[in-house]
Amino acid sequence: MIGLKLSKKVLNELLGKGVEFSEIFVQNRILNNLKLEDSKIESSSSGFELGCGLRIISGDSTYYAYVDSLSSDKILNAAKVLRSAVCSKLRKKTLDLSERKKPSEKAIDRHPFSVIQEDKKSFLLEVDFAARNHNPAIIQVTSNLSDLVENTYIANSEGFFCSDELVMVYLSVNAVARKGSEIRTGYKSIAKTKGYEIFFIKKPSDISIEASTIAVKMLDAENAPVGTMPVVLGPAFGGVIFHEACGHGLEADAVLKDASVYKGKIGKEIASPMVTAVDDATIPYHWGSYAFDDEGYPSEKNVLIENGILRSYIFDYKTAKKMKMKQTGNGRRQSFRDIPIPRMSNTYIENGSEDPSVIIKSVKSGVYAKEFAGGQVDPATGDFVFGISEGYIIENGNICAPIKNATLIGNGPEILKKIDAVGNDLDFAPGFCGKGGQSVSNEVGQPTILVSEITVGGTKVQENDNE
Amino acid sequence: MSDNSKSGSGKEGKNLLFYCKNAALKLQGKAVDEFEIYGLASISNLIEIYNLNVENLSFSDTKGLGFRIFKDGRMGYAYTSNLEETEIEKCIEKAVDNSIITNKEQYNYLPQEEEFKYKKGLVDEKDLFSEKFMECSIEDKIKIAKQLEIITRKKDKRVKGISNLLYEDNLTDVNVINSAGFNGSYKTSSAFIYESVISREGSDNSTGDYFGYARDPEKLDTEMVAENAVKRSVMLLGAKKVKSQMGSVLLDPFVAAQFIGVIAGILAADTVQKGKSLFKGRIGEKIFNGDFNIIDDGTLKEGLSSKPFDGEGVPKGRTVIFDRGVLKTYLYNTFTARKNKTLSTGNAVRSSYKSPPAVGISNFYIEPSTTSFDNLIKRMDKGFYVMDIIGLHSGVNPISGHISVGAKGLWIEEGSISYPLKEVTIATDILSFCKNLEKIGSDIKYMPAGGYIGSPSMLIRNITISGN
Repeated sequence: MIGLKLSKKVLNELLGKGVEFSEIFVQNRILNNLKLEDSKIESSSSGFELGCGLRIISGDSTYYAYVDSLSSDKILNAAKVLRSAVCSKLRKKTLDLSERKKPSEKAIDRHPFSVIQEDKKSFLLEVDFAARNHNPAIIQVTSNLSDLVENTYIANSEGFFCSDELVMVYLSVNAVARKGSEIRTGYKSIAKTKGYEIFFIKKPSDISIEASTIAVKMLDAENAPVGTMPVVLGPAFGGVIFHEACGHGLEADAVLKDASVYKGKIGKEIASPMVTAVDDATIPYHWGSYAFDDEGYPSEKNVLIENGILRSYIFDYKTAKKMKMKQTGNGRRQSFRDIPIPRMSNTYIENGSEDPSVIIKSVKSGVYAKEFAGGQVDPATGDFVFGISEGYIIENGNICAPIKNATLIGNGPEILKKIDAVGNDLDFAPGFCGKGGQSVSNEVGQPTILVSEITVGGTKVQENDNE
Repeated sequence: MSDNSKSGSGKEGKNLLFYCKNAALKLQGKAVDEFEIYGLASISNLIEIYNLNVENLSFSDTKGLGFRIFKDGRMGYAYTSNLEETEIEKCIEKAVDNSIITNKEQYNYLPQEEEFKYKKGLVDEKDLFSEKFMECSIEDKIKIAKQLEIITRKKDKRVKGISNLLYEDNLTDVNVINSAGFNGSYKTSSAFIYESVISREGSDNSTGDYFGYARDPEKLDTEMVAENAVKRSVMLLGAKKVKSQMGSVLLDPFVAAQFIGVIAGILAADTVQKGKSLFKGRIGEKIFNGDFNIIDDGTLKEGLSSKPFDGEGVPKGRTVIFDRGVLKTYLYNTFTARKNKTLSTGNAVRSSYKSPPAVGISNFYIEPSTTSFDNLIKRMDKGFYVMDIIGLHSGVNPISGHISVGAKGLWIEEGSISYPLKEVTIATDILSFCKNLEKIGSDIKYMPAGGYIGSPSMLIRNITISGN
């Protein structure tokens, strides 16, 4: 994307006296988004983003600037200005750069560039038809189909450069069902780091029917219960509990700032011995996967918790250096305009041994939470919430009436110890995660798990509890 | 990035106009019926401080153009942040190509003057931009941010750290040009400061955050930010759960504003027209039991969302949405106004050049009363004073109306503080929230969240509090 000669020139220009690290991050993105609503293609938009981010680390400080262009004059000028914010003198060291090769090439069958507009449109019309055909209670279908082709080039003063192409396709469906004055919604999405072949395996109509089924089922939902009780969290999106209750607290920037409840806990038991949790950006085609992180470090499988024992944090370059640990390939950024920070990729709880139906059978009275609307955490206290979007009452081991949306609230370190059963049906769900104003692709995952006690924030106060 | 972080906007504004005009010339030769160019240039600094050290300092100076084209009643959109001639050419082609598959709509055309609800010139553009902004150097900004940490640490012995302290500012130029002859521009400046404070007592940790906003950095009130962040952190040390019950809650203005933001979302005419709003078909109905007024005012003097025209060039104005509790109108852009055979309220919003205009709020607030906060707490007598909420995105379904969020704050008995609470949720639904809102305070505060949302404290009855 930019030549070796220019890379070296820029990196050298950034390396002032007292600067220990310089980096150039080039990104070219072409994205398309189609939105369907009211059974019509409401908008079709595209974006072109091309630019280059420059980074310097000097002591504990990071300095960052970017240009929306790849013109060598503009980049060099920006480099000069950025360096002069740190120091005036250049260092007399010349760099050599060697290529860091991708471990393997992943084939893309239907590259977004080869898919014509009419085909994209027909995927969305298929979504709309399937939902409305599924049940007459469906009154609205909103669906977004996005694709992204991203080329990156990274070179830094450690002496390497690498490049990669990432292809992403994402389809989300939000179905709205109505009965009288009651309105309910159902949401499902599919998202992979591959081309339009994602629809070979799962059709747009499949996703749509899943979303519509949730919306229609929820029409009969009763008020969710209140208070602490056992909760069975379904596979896939249920993994949002680990993402919030623990994952963010393991990101090394929070640990370094003494803003994580998991600080100083490496080697200690922080979760039930049934829990093994992993962050793995190498899983082929998963939504949070990549060959290199946004600092050019090769992605890897990183065991965070092994049988309840904390094994590793989640690092980027700067935090690893500071804690004298190895990078884990989790330095990620939203775009060339942003500073990379430690972020999760595909984060999940490993399979256990139990049959999910046995787990549900073991609960006398509680809640089965199947689908979720996301969550949030305060890593400094470990207090987190996540919202149930499809849930049911469990009575005597049986899944009973659906319940209205409710938030679950708990404290990370406490909840990890209350995981009493782990199923054998590991699955994943894609999403986006926001931190420090930056949004990145993310996958959560888990098998069915049982949390012995967590607070459910419904609206149905038991008669005898009401003062 | 700019050669000098202080310089810029004047020069940048001219540049942006140049790019917009140049692109307009290119578009005139294309086989399209109408077009609109939305240009945005922004210069900003982001500073993060940790332990009185500059942890991150970033400079940004960016421009982008978004093209909306109309052809045979269809609309296409594309944007680019690369303003080289060939890239702009490519982008325009893509916008035209995108129009082919979108739906043909009789309402797809540029805004006409007779569709404007408000007259032009209600906003004094001098209010949107502070010349003083330009006088503030990067060193000055770093000093302001460090000052916040110094003040904060002195406030209370239990303050153990600041997990996040950031300063961010923005100098923005907006330029909208369309083929119907509209050519408008404006310039805004803003500075923002935020911190999250960790306090500790024994093994108990508590966090509290606060922020300040102003048109120029020197006006940021660091003392007020420190005071509030520390208070919100230390007051909640030793918090515990409460027994689940149906009860009264008193919402802090920032918490209340977040709920007002949820209500704002379903007042957008497109949400209503698509059957996704609980307010559909309810114009003229008394939604609130109390006589509350809710207003969207794109011309508010101190409002950070004030601007002379909206995302498609329609003048901004003051729209009373709830008048003494009665729903009077929805918020419109021209497309949705045409559908309802009414006028555009100037509520086409664009978060950047990256997206076509949608319908949304500007400065959106509930008019304060004269009741003091102390009176509200006495009036509540017993209940939950909510100082912060967590999980608004995952806990509110604006379409079904269900609300269930995590909350922390203080338990109130006999009108005074009893003990701090955490790990509890509060739950209700949007319409019950409106019905059960009993009283509001005089202490209105604004927060940036989509628009600029303002609310005083709120006393609400019959909300479910879930603990143990």
